[in-house]
Amino acid sequence: MRFVVRRLGFFAVTVWAAISLNFMIPRLMPGNPAQVLVAEHPHLNPQALHSLLALLGGTTHQSLPSQYATYWAHVATFNFGISLTTSFGKSVDAMVYQALPWTLGLVGITTLLAFIFGTLIGLISAWRRGTWLDSALPPIFVVTSAFPYFWMALLSIYIFSVTLGWFPSEHPYNIFTDSPDLNWHYVGDVLDHAVLPAFTILITAIGGWILTMRNNVITVLSDDYVRMARAKGLKPWRIMWHYAGKNAILPNLTGFAMSLGFIVSGAILVEYVFDYPGVGSLLLQSVNDLDYPLMQALFLLITMAVLVSVLAADVLTAVLDPRTREQS
Amino acid sequence: MTTTRWARRLTVLGSTIAATAMLATGIVTATAGAATRTADTATGTLNIADEWGFAWPCQFNPFNANDFYFSFGPVYEELAYVDSINRGAVTPWLATAWTWSNGNKTLTFTIRKGVTWSDGQPFSAADVVFTFNLLKKDPALDLNADWSVLSSVVATGTDQVAFNFKAPAVSYFYYIADQTPIVPEHIWSTVKNPATFQDPHPIGTGGYVLSACNGANQRFTANPHYWQPGLPKIETVNFPSYLSNNAANQDLTSGVDQWGSQFIPNINKVYISKDPQYYHYWFAPVYSVALWPNLTNPILSDLAVRQAIAYGINRPLVGKIGEYGEEPGANQTDVVTPTFSSWYDSSLAAKYGNAYAYNPSKAVSILEADGYKKGSNGIFAKNGKQLSFTIINNAGFSDWVSAVNVIQSELKAVGIQVTPDNLSGSTYSTDVSDGKFQLAYQWDTGGPTPYYELRQLLYSANTAPVGSPASSNYERYSSKSTDALLGDYVATTSSAVQHQVVDQLEQVMLSEVPVIPVTEQVDWYQYDTQHIAGWVTASNPYAQPGQYVTPDWGVVLLHLYYK
Repeated sequence: MRFVVRRLGFFAVTVWAAISLNFMIPRLMPGNPAQVLVAEHPHLNPQALHSLLALLGGTTHQSLPSQYATYWAHVATFNFGISLTTSFGKSVDAMVYQALPWTLGLVGITTLLAFIFGTLIGLISAWRRGTWLDSALPPIFVVTSAFPYFWMALLSIYIFSVTLGWFPSEHPYNIFTDSPDLNWHYVGDVLDHAVLPAFTILITAIGGWILTMRNNVITVLSDDYVRMARAKGLKPWRIMWHYAGKNAILPNLTGFAMSLGFIVSGAILVEYVFDYPGVGSLLLQSVNDLDYPLMQALFLLITMAVLVSVLAADVLTAVLDPRTREQS
Repeated sequence: MTTTRWARRLTVLGSTIAATAMLATGIVTATAGAATRTADTATGTLNIADEWGFAWPCQFNPFNANDFYFSFGPVYEELAYVDSINRGAVTPWLATAWTWSNGNKTLTFTIRKGVTWSDGQPFSAADVVFTFNLLKKDPALDLNADWSVLSSVVATGTDQVAFNFKAPAVSYFYYIADQTPIVPEHIWSTVKNPATFQDPHPIGTGGYVLSACNGANQRFTANPHYWQPGLPKIETVNFPSYLSNNAANQDLTSGVDQWGSQFIPNINKVYISKDPQYYHYWFAPVYSVALWPNLTNPILSDLAVRQAIAYGINRPLVGKIGEYGEEPGANQTDVVTPTFSSWYDSSLAAKYGNAYAYNPSKAVSILEADGYKKGSNGIFAKNGKQLSFTIINNAGFSDWVSAVNVIQSELKAVGIQVTPDNLSGSTYSTDVSDGKFQLAYQWDTGGPTPYYELRQLLYSANTAPVGSPASSNYERYSSKSTDALLGDYVATTSSAVQHQVVDQLEQVMLSEVPVIPVTEQVDWYQYDTQHIAGWVTASNPYAQPGQYVTPDWGVVLLHLYYK
C-alpha cells in the first residue's frame, strides 16, 4: 500500500511538471501564433489581423502567472481552444476526438496483437530451442522489424494493393461510396481498409516482443525451480506456461503497459502513407502548420497517456513480482 | 489567397502504379444510376484529387482564410467572373452589368434577377449590400482588404449597388467583383460572430450544394434550382481529403479521380503513360517565383551586382532541374508568359539582352566594369568586400530547395557566392516580410493582368522599414515615379493606357532589377477525358484549372459533362 501511495505522489509531481512544461515551452519558443497568422493570411491588413487576434484572445495582456492559472482551468475542463492554422476556427477538442478513435482502433489493436503473438512466439521458440520453429520465426521477424514503418507500408501497398489488388491502399473506408454510419457494410469496409496498415505495424512491431520473451524464457529455463519442476515430473506444457512463461513475461508486461501509452501518439508514418486520419496524421499536420493550440493539446494527451501507463506498469509489476515491493 | 497550401512536397511513391481503371468505372456507373432528377439532367460523378494534407474540418465560411476554398465557387458565387488566364476576360455572374463613373471612383453593378439561394429564398441587391457592409463591420472577414479602398457600398434603385471608392481604383474591380463571395442576408444577419462562424451547411447561389461532409470526404450535389439553365451537368462531386501526395497521385493514376491538382514528379512516366489516350495535363503559368535582393543591403543596392545575378542565372535550367521541368523559366520583366504574352514588350526586352537571358560572360564583364576583381577563391570582391550572400528559403518546399541549389552553382561559376539558408515555414515568412535577409527565394501572387503582380512588387505602400512586416514589397523598393505609374493604371479603364503603364513598369523591372524572377509558378492540373468532357485546355482557357483557385473551380465544374 505504501508503495502505491509513494508511486501516486511521484505521479502527481510528474503530471504537474509535464503540464507546466507544456505551458512554458511554447512560450519560450521563437515566434508566436500572431506571426503564424500573418504568414497564413498574407492579404489581411493590420486592422483585420488585429481584430482576428482579439477574437482569439491574443490582444488581452495577461501576466504570466494569471495566464498560467487560466491555462490550468482550461486543462482541467479539457478546453484546448481553437485551431489556428490547420482548420482555423475549429475546436481543438473536436479535432482530437475525430482522430482518436481511428488511432485507438488501428494502433491499439495492432499493439495488443503484436504483444500477444510476439510473446507466444517468443515463449514457444525458446521452449523448442533449436527446432526449425526457433531457427525460422524469430530471425524472420527480427529482420522485418528492422525495416522502417513507411518502407514496409509502401512495399505492402505495392504488393497487396497495386499488384495483387487484394486490399485498398488508402483511407479508413471507401470514402466515395460509404458514409460513416454504423452498419455491417461500413464495419466490413473499415476492417478491409485496416488490413494493410495493421499488417505493416504488426510485422514491424512483433520482433521486439519475440526477442525479449525468448531471451527471458531461456534465462528462466536454466533456473533451479524449473529444474525442480522437471524433476518432479510435471507435464512439459505446465512447466512452459506456469513456471517459465509466467515468470518470463514480467518484463514484457511492463513494456506492454508502457507501449499502451504510446498508442495515442499514433503511428505517424503509417497513418501518413495510408491516408489514415488518426492522431499521428494530426500531429504531423499540426507541427507542419505550427498550430500551437493543437500541438499543445496533442502533446499533453500523449504525455498524460504515457504517464498513466507508466504508473499502471509500476503497479502491475509490484502486484506480480513481490521482489519489487521490498525496501532496499 | 494563402500560398502554403498547394506547395507540392516531393514525397513520391516511386514505384509505378498499375492502372485499375475498372474500379473507377465501377464507381461511376454505380452512382450515375442513382441520379434521378426532374428539373434537368445532371448525371454522373466526378472525383477530385488534390492533397490538402488534413482531414476536412467541414467548415465552409467563405470569409475564413482557411475554409473559403471549399465553398467559394461551387456554393457561393461572385458578382462577375474574371478569367486570369484568358486576358482577364470578364463574364457577368450575379451581376449582369456594371459601369465606372465619377472619375473611376464609383462602380455600379446591376444585380441579376431570378436568382434564388439554395434554400429557395430570392437573391437580391440587398444581399450584395449586406455582404460588403458585413466585411466593413468585421475587418477580419475582409480577406482582400476591399475596405482599404472602399468608402461606402449602397443600394441605388431596386436592383443596383454602387461601390464608392476613396480614390480611382479600377484594378480593384477584380477583388470586388471576382474575389468576394456574396452571402445571403437572411442567414448571415442572424450569425452572432461571423469571423468564427463555421457555416457547416452553406446556403449559396452556386451550382452545387453540400450534401455530405465528414473528415474524409466533402460531397457536393447539383443544385436543382440553379439560375443558369441546364447547369450543372455533373450530379455529384466528391472531394476526398488526402493526407499525402502519393495517395492522391495514386487515385489519379488509377482513374479513381478524374480531376487532379497535384504535383506529380516525372509526370509523363508516372501519370500520362498509364493511359495516354485519356490522361492529360496542362500547366498554365500564373505568377513568378523570384530571387529577392534586399535593397537596403549596401552591396545588393548596387545595380551592377543585381544585373550580374540576373544574367548569371540560367532560368530554364532551374525549372528543369528544380521543378522536374514542370515550371518554365521566368523573365526579368516579371510578365508571365505565355499566359500574359500580349503584355510582354519584346522590343524593350531585346534592349536588355532578351530580358536578361542567361549570359554568364556578360555577368562577369558587368562586375569587372563596376570595379570588382576575382579573388584567389574565384569570388568577386571590391574594397575587400566579397560578393557572398545567403539566400533564405522555405525548407518545407523541397522543389525550391533544389532550385536554389542550381542557382548556387550557376552563380558560383560567375564568381558570386551564395549560401542557401533553409528555414522553417513561419521563421522564413517572418524573415521575408520583415526584410531580415540578404537574398530570399519567394513568390508573390498574381491577378488577371501582370499589373497586379508588378504592383505587389513595386508599390512603396506595400513595403515597410526593415524589422516591420511588409505586405508584398519585400525587397524594400521605393520610387515616387513608379508609384505614380501604378496610380495611372487604376485611374483609367482604357486598355491601351493600361498597356502603356505596364510597358513602363517592365522598363522599371529591366533597368532597375529590383527583383529577379526565376521560374513561373503554374496551376497544377491533370484531367481524365475517358468519360468526362468540357475540360480547361490551352486552347480553351475558360478558367484557372487548379482546384484550389477560387472561384474558378466552380466555373470549371459548370463546364464539365459526361460524354
